Amino acid sequence: MSRPAAPKASFLASLLELPKNVWSSIFRNPLPSNDLERSATSFTNFFLHIHPVKVHKHSLRPAYTFGLGLISFFLFVILTVSGILLMFYYVPSTSQAYDRMLDLRGSVAFGTLLRNMHRWAAHGMVAVVFLHLCRVFLTGSYKKPREFNWVVGVILFLLTLFMSFTGYLLPWDQLAFWAITVGTAIAGYAPIIGKDIQFLLMGGTSVGQEALLRFYVLHVAVLPAILTLMIAIHFWRIRKDGGLSRPEDADPKVSLVAMENAVEVKASVLEPKKVYGFQGLVRGPLTKVGEIPDNTVYSWPNLFLAELFVFVITLSAILVLSLLFNAPLEEPVNALHPPNPAKAPWYFLGLQEMVSYSAFWGGIGVPGIFVLLLLVAPYLDRSPKGVGKWFSRDRLLANTIFITFVVANIIFVIIGTFFRGANWAFVTPW
Amino acid sequence: MRLALAIGTFFILVIHGVVFYNQFFHQWERNQTAYFDQARVLAKTDAERAALAARKPRIEQIVVSNFGETRVDRCTTCHIASDDPRFATYAEPLKTHPYSAAMGDTQKNGKWERRHKFSEFGCTVCHDGQGRGLDPEYSHGKDEYWPDPLLGYTTQAHWRKDFAPKLKGKEYMQANCAQCHTDIAFPGTALVTKGRELFFSSNCYGCHRIEGLSDGTIGPDLSDVGKKWKLDYLWGRIADPKFILATSIMPKFNLKEEDTKALVVFLKSRKGRNFAETEIQRFKVKLTGGAELVQATIKPVQINPAEMVRQGEKLVLDRACTACHKLGDRDGGIAPDLSFEGLIKDGPWIYEHFKNPKSRMPDSIMPAFRFTDDEFKAMTAYLLTLKGSPTPAGGEAIYKSLCLRCHGEKGDGHGPIAEHLDPYPRDLTKAGFMNSKTEARLVASIRSGVAGTSMPAWGKLLTEEQAKNTLAYIQTAFTKEPRRELKARNIPEKNPVAMGKDSVARGEALFVNRCAGCHGKKGDGKGPNSLDILPKPRNLRNAYFVDSVDDRRLFEAIQYGVQGTAMPPWIDYGLTNNDVGDLINFIRSINLKSKGGQHAAAIQ
Repeated sequence: MSRPAAPKASFLASLLELPKNVWSSIFRNPLPSNDLERSATSFTNFFLHIHPVKVHKHSLRPAYTFGLGLISFFLFVILTVSGILLMFYYVPSTSQAYDRMLDLRGSVAFGTLLRNMHRWAAHGMVAVVFLHLCRVFLTGSYKKPREFNWVVGVILFLLTLFMSFTGYLLPWDQLAFWAITVGTAIAGYAPIIGKDIQFLLMGGTSVGQEALLRFYVLHVAVLPAILTLMIAIHFWRIRKDGGLSRPEDADPKVSLVAMENAVEVKASVLEPKKVYGFQGLVRGPLTKVGEIPDNTVYSWPNLFLAELFVFVITLSAILVLSLLFNAPLEEPVNALHPPNPAKAPWYFLGLQEMVSYSAFWGGIGVPGIFVLLLLVAPYLDRSPKGVGKWFSRDRLLANTIFITFVVANIIFVIIGTFFRGANWAFVTPW
Repeated sequence: MRLALAIGTFFILVIHGVVFYNQFFHQWERNQTAYFDQARVLAKTDAERAALAARKPRIEQIVVSNFGETRVDRCTTCHIASDDPRFATYAEPLKTHPYSAAMGDTQKNGKWERRHKFSEFGCTVCHDGQGRGLDPEYSHGKDEYWPDPLLGYTTQAHWRKDFAPKLKGKEYMQANCAQCHTDIAFPGTALVTKGRELFFSSNCYGCHRIEGLSDGTIGPDLSDVGKKWKLDYLWGRIADPKFILATSIMPKFNLKEEDTKALVVFLKSRKGRNFAETEIQRFKVKLTGGAELVQATIKPVQINPAEMVRQGEKLVLDRACTACHKLGDRDGGIAPDLSFEGLIKDGPWIYEHFKNPKSRMPDSIMPAFRFTDDEFKAMTAYLLTLKGSPTPAGGEAIYKSLCLRCHGEKGDGHGPIAEHLDPYPRDLTKAGFMNSKTEARLVASIRSGVAGTSMPAWGKLLTEEQAKNTLAYIQTAFTKEPRRELKARNIPEKNPVAMGKDSVARGEALFVNRCAGCHGKKGDGKGPNSLDILPKPRNLRNAYFVDSVDDRRLFEAIQYGVQGTAMPPWIDYGLTNNDVGDLINFIRSINLKSKGGQHAAAIQ
């Protein structure tokens, strides 16, 4: 500006330009039209900068991931939002909780929808997180360098189960009360510390006010905090481990010409006073400096549109479910009158079914072994083959063991859900 | 991709539209608007009209805190005209709640005044239903999970189709009236009173406990049955006891429909604690067993000595004895046949059995009923006149008419009423047992009965000849093995050990060591092993039985075992005759109460 404008005119101009200036102060870049701007859009936006600027084409193939990880995350977001809104109406007290449910169903604005969304998204999240786990296992994606992220993932799966389980009690109806009674009883079958865990969970010897309060605090504060932290670590490690897994042949082979004048330099040799750029210190598969043919595309718009699409699909599905089906609300709790049969939440029905054969093996032994196997899988299965392909022939053994466990559990869940009647006797549902 | 995105987003918008529509166009708002419109037409002054025009739909609620847990009744949100007398002829939900002098409403200068004001009582205290709901489906309790649907108005979809229509009618609400109006014969709760009378006259109290009324232990406690169960369940359990629980042993009483209804209303009013009583009243009733209420309910029959038999007959037939017993063509299918009672029992037996069923049969499940002494005597007199029809001659015919009810069609002891008898009827197919007893002993069991058990003495019905015929039939049809010569056994005729404290002490030590596993530490036949054994180990505290068998028979059973049962021959396990003598003295010593205690003196 060569000469200062008159103060009055300048003020008017700023007023006129106010919307534009506010906008551009938040969104630094215009809608990108070239690669530089596309990159800038990704890393100057808080919500987008967790993404890489460029993403491998293989990662965008829908049939490779089915967007399961993203769906899990979006369900978590939906659960957080609907859960916080529900918290405004909920009282974790045995004398009030059920009445609050009736109010939510009867007179609170959007109460039914909120409760339905929260309930179906919770069930959905358990299912989708498990499918995501299956996807990662069956494509061999837990292998080096993603071993630890796999462990984080398994922990996230367990947290999701626990999250859903703690939320199950809160409506304080017969369904909730007896499902938690059964569920905590399964925990009680653990050797030595089982009874103590059960006592710790329930704050007593039976499900009551203490249990309700504990489950509430776990459900709305403790577990979400841990879950959020673990999700952050999970995402962060995806970036640090070089994005999603992909097969070796996802990039065309090129023979790298060894640089003749390359010198190996040890850190101790470097001069302390010299200033090194960031690139000079980073090791590993993180940065590609252009020596490999580029099989990547810009995240804007390819990745972001795909993510938005998954979000829209997820939200639509939950909304439709919530419109069509009401979350169950059974009789108020009656501790003296158990329903027959009393069933755990569906995702624990496999355990309950197995418990009906053997308390220890069904409730603790088999699931314990399964979880332990999952946790150590990447450290036992060190072969680098078969990464990034569904049902790779190189991974026949690992996949067979895994699928056997999964199918067995699914069969037990189905039997427990549909084929068990009074006194846990076998019934046919038709 | 972009098109799919656009479609998806549009879809979300549409769903939000539906959600918002549902949220802001409630049925109750339309009801209220309709009411305001109608009321404006009926209004007499401009001010009233203006006030109505200014009103906007809003949720109305009555918070009721005087009756048990605080209730929030939002019923008047839709039933907004319930206190507006101008709407008496309108259809629900915009209908005036009827006024009724019987309910205590009064008329002053042509204007009705309610006794039970809605602002004090709300709605659900009388009507049940779910007060918090704003949707007719939920607030009327139509959804199957709601424990208290509108009494006598709402039936739920899963209720049994043939019961549901019978469960409608405002008289069911008397169950709720009785939560406050607990006077013994309150005119507004006639059905509750009638139901309570039926509870006694149909002998429900013999099996069921209701706090402050009765102490039966065979059936479930009904003190808070009205809180636990809905009408259809109560009706179902009375009208068709096996429909919910296939193993229920409750008899079918075949009550008239209006009697069933009265019982259902009475049971529905049993909610443990009602609104009327204070803690201290409740405690007093507990101490006295509800004496006043019970006396007001049970109406003893004045027995006229000249008409004793006829009055006894009426009592037996009216008071549901045949809900369990068989008498002529009435058969409850649970307890023994009374048709020959005059021939198989004597007066003292029947009378004592009435007074305390366990006195003559320690393991009888028959409850002790509350009749007056005179009534018991009249019933006894009537039963003594029952001589049945002439007994058929052939063994098979005799078995079918007299034995089958307990011993069963196949002679295996699983007769139709067998599961209610203790001890269980003898399994006649066990050749081991049947052939180890002399014919004389078996005939004696038939003709003299087995004391302390359900096996009656058939001696007055069956001659020696007929008993032998029956036995022959049993032998060929069930036992199926020819009788063998019995080996001579070395059994002392009399107990060689003298009765005395030392002998009893030795016997007790032996008993605890050797016998308690099956016969139980107390000798009541309920030892830890008894669960797996059929026939069950003998209850050795059954004094009538123990006194009826002589030492010789006890010696034989212990030393040589009882074939066809789990009782082993203890002679093989090293018991000497002196040991057995001690045991027998011990067993006799725990049965001293009966018959003046023939051995009591020896111990003291």
